[in-house]
Amino acid sequence: MRGGAFRLVLPFLFFLPAGLAQAQSAETLGWLRKIHDATQKLSYTGTFVYQHGTRSESSRITRYVDSRGDIERLEALDGVPREIVRTRDTVKCYLPDLRVVKIDRRTADRSFPALLPERIGALAAHYDIRLGETRRIAGFDCQAVVLTPKDNLRYGYRLYADVASGMLLRAVTVDAAGESVEQFSFTHLAIGNVTREMVKPRHAARAWRVEDAEASPARLAGWGLSAELPGFRKVIELKRRMGASGGEGKPVGQVVYSDGLAAVSVFIEPLQEGRDPVRHGLASMGAIHVYTREVANHRVTVVGEAPAASVQRIANAVEYRRPQ
Amino acid sequence: MKDKVSVLMDGELDDKAAEEMVRELRREGEAAEAWRTYHLISDAMRDTRLLSAGFQARLARRLAAEPAILAPARRAAEPRRWLPMAAAAGAAFALVGWMAFAPQQQPAPVPAPVAKLQPAPEERPVMVPIPTAANDYLLAHQGFSPRVALQGMASYVRTVSDEGTRR
Repeated sequence: MRGGAFRLVLPFLFFLPAGLAQAQSAETLGWLRKIHDATQKLSYTGTFVYQHGTRSESSRITRYVDSRGDIERLEALDGVPREIVRTRDTVKCYLPDLRVVKIDRRTADRSFPALLPERIGALAAHYDIRLGETRRIAGFDCQAVVLTPKDNLRYGYRLYADVASGMLLRAVTVDAAGESVEQFSFTHLAIGNVTREMVKPRHAARAWRVEDAEASPARLAGWGLSAELPGFRKVIELKRRMGASGGEGKPVGQVVYSDGLAAVSVFIEPLQEGRDPVRHGLASMGAIHVYTREVANHRVTVVGEAPAASVQRIANAVEYRRPQ
Repeated sequence: MKDKVSVLMDGELDDKAAEEMVRELRREGEAAEAWRTYHLISDAMRDTRLLSAGFQARLARRLAAEPAILAPARRAAEPRRWLPMAAAAGAAFALVGWMAFAPQQQPAPVPAPVAKLQPAPEERPVMVPIPTAANDYLLAHQGFSPRVALQGMASYVRTVSDEGTRR
C-alpha cells in the first residue's frame, strides 16, 4: 500500500522544484512591490545608522505625505551638520557651515521612471531574488528579501522589510564574497503621526549662497561608451552646473546607466587651461565607487553604487567621437 | 650554484632553499647570469617567441604601480614575518612567471600568459582619495538611483556623509 502511494507521489515530487521556484519568485517580487509601495505611501520618522567599513553615522529621516505629494527630510546627526529636504520637484541640500544651499530641481526626473512596480519583475534578469530569514529590527518583525547578482558586475542586497507595513528597516549591500560593503539600518522608527512642521528645513538659508544645478535633459553630442556594461542601459542624459565655489559653476554633462536597481553616472566636464591636472584613479566610500580619468581634454568622473571593476569598465569605455 | 638555479627553474626547490636562491639572484652575480642564460637556452630550445623589447621593465613598472590594497594590514602585529613571506612571494612569482612563460606542451602565444597574471579584465586602478567634489557628484547621482524608490531618501545620506563632505 505504501509503495503504491510513493509511486503516485513521486512524479509530482519530481516536478515540485520548478513549481516551487515559480511560486517563490512571485511571492518574492510581491515583497519588493510591498517595499516599494510602503516607501511611496507611508509617513514616518526615525533614526538610522549608515555603516561602511569601520565607519558609522546616524541620521534622522522624516517623511510626510499628503494629497499634494510627499516631503522628505534627512538630517545628519553626527559630524558636520547637514540637511537635505526633498519635495516633489526639488532636492535642497543645506550646508550651514558653508552657508550654502544646493538646489537640484527634479523636473528632469518626471520622465524618469526610477523603479516602477511593473519593472520590478525585470530585476530577475540580473538578480536571483528569494526570501530569506525573518528577523526583528528596531522592534519590527522583518522579512528578508535577498537579491543575489547573476554576475560580478553588480552588488547583492539583503533587504529587511516590516512584515506588517512593508517598510524597509535595513538594507545591506554585499560584495561577491558575501561581505557587507555598506548597511542602512533603522535603530528607531515610528510610522504615522508626522506633521508638515516636522519636514520643514531647520535653516531659513536667507543670505546663503544658492547653487542651482539647473539640470535639464540634453544630448551630449559625441559622447558615448565604446562598450556598454552588460545589463546597464542608458536611462537619461542631461546637463547641469556644479560646484559653484564663486561664480556660476561649471557646466557638466551627466549620463546615467542602470540595471534597474544599481545606477552609475558618468560626469563629463571640460578641462580649462591652467587647472589642476586630472587625478586619475579610483576612490571608494561604502558601495559607491568613483573613478576619474581624462578623455579628449575633459575630466570624466564615473560615480556609482557598483563594484569597482564595473565603475572602472564604464569609465574606460567612455569615448568622444567628433559628431559627423 | 648553477644546479640550484636549474632546480629553481623547474620549481623543485623547497621554500627555504627557493628563498635563499631568490636572494642570491638579486645580487646580480653568477646565479643571475645563469638564470638568464638558462631561460634563453630554454626559450631557444622550445622555440618560444621573443617578448617585445622592454617587456621586463614594463612588467616591473606595472607591478610597482599595483596598489597594496589587500588584507595584509590585519597582520600588522607581526610585521617582520612579512619579510620572509615577501621573499617567498617573490619566489612564487618567479615560479609562476617561469611556468607561465615556458610553454609546457605546446608553445602558447605570448599575450596569454600576461592575461594569466591579470585575472581581472581591467588594470588595477590607482587608489585616490575621494574627490573634493564628491558631494556634488553624489547629490547629482542619487536622484537617479532606482534604490531611492525602495529606500526613500536614506541613500542620500552618502551625500551628507562626513567623509564625502570633507573639503
